[in-house]
Amino acid sequence: MKTVATSEPEWLTVRKENIIRMPLGLLGFESIKQYVLLTRPGEEPFLWLQMLDDPNHSFLVVSPFHVLVDYSPELSNDDVRFLALTAPEDAMILNIVTLRPDGQASVNLKGPIVVNRHTLTAKQVIPTNAAEYGLRHPISVTA
Amino acid sequence: MLILSRKVNECIVIDGRITVKIVRVEGEIVKLGIEAPLDVPVHRQEIYEEIQRNNREALTEGRPKVPRLPRLNGVPPTDAKKTE
Repeated sequence: MKTVATSEPEWLTVRKENIIRMPLGLLGFESIKQYVLLTRPGEEPFLWLQMLDDPNHSFLVVSPFHVLVDYSPELSNDDVRFLALTAPEDAMILNIVTLRPDGQASVNLKGPIVVNRHTLTAKQVIPTNAAEYGLRHPISVTA
Repeated sequence: MLILSRKVNECIVIDGRITVKIVRVEGEIVKLGIEAPLDVPVHRQEIYEEIQRNNREALTEGRPKVPRLPRLNGVPPTDAKKTE
């Protein structure tokens, strides 16, 4: 899995290797099937999941292990099959971040996005152990 | 929609492998016991609606400033796995 670090002027540069296909879309955005995963220097570990056809709209996402070290969502067999995952290493997990007007942020640990690193097919899943995790898990933010 | 009447402790079997039992009825609350294989996800409908709502709230327009994360135990602030 490669992500492309774009400097501001190249922000819209989209390459094949960072296009993520979501056949079912995100919950609430079922009709949007293609996203592009972008990084901007200085914003690590956050990434942007930008709508391929609508560059002005994106979701801020983060690898959950930066938020909760022992996060371990359990995927249903249906989701494993849907994503054609053959080993845990095939999966990249991204969780959607919500930015609050007051500068605080939270991350959705109940509905992670799981990406097959090889096929770049992704799905927003509800892990079988979703009850253990928060929908609005607060991110402690430093100034 | 199939509508069935059940008494407490009676069950419904779905697909020969999922059993839904009426455990208790307390006023407006019905407690269900669900036995399903591990590969069958069972969730309250609300969780889908909550995630939909959360996704809509999380959608950003343009490029807002991202927060800074403090260093977590043992995890560096940059994602070493993101490029191979």
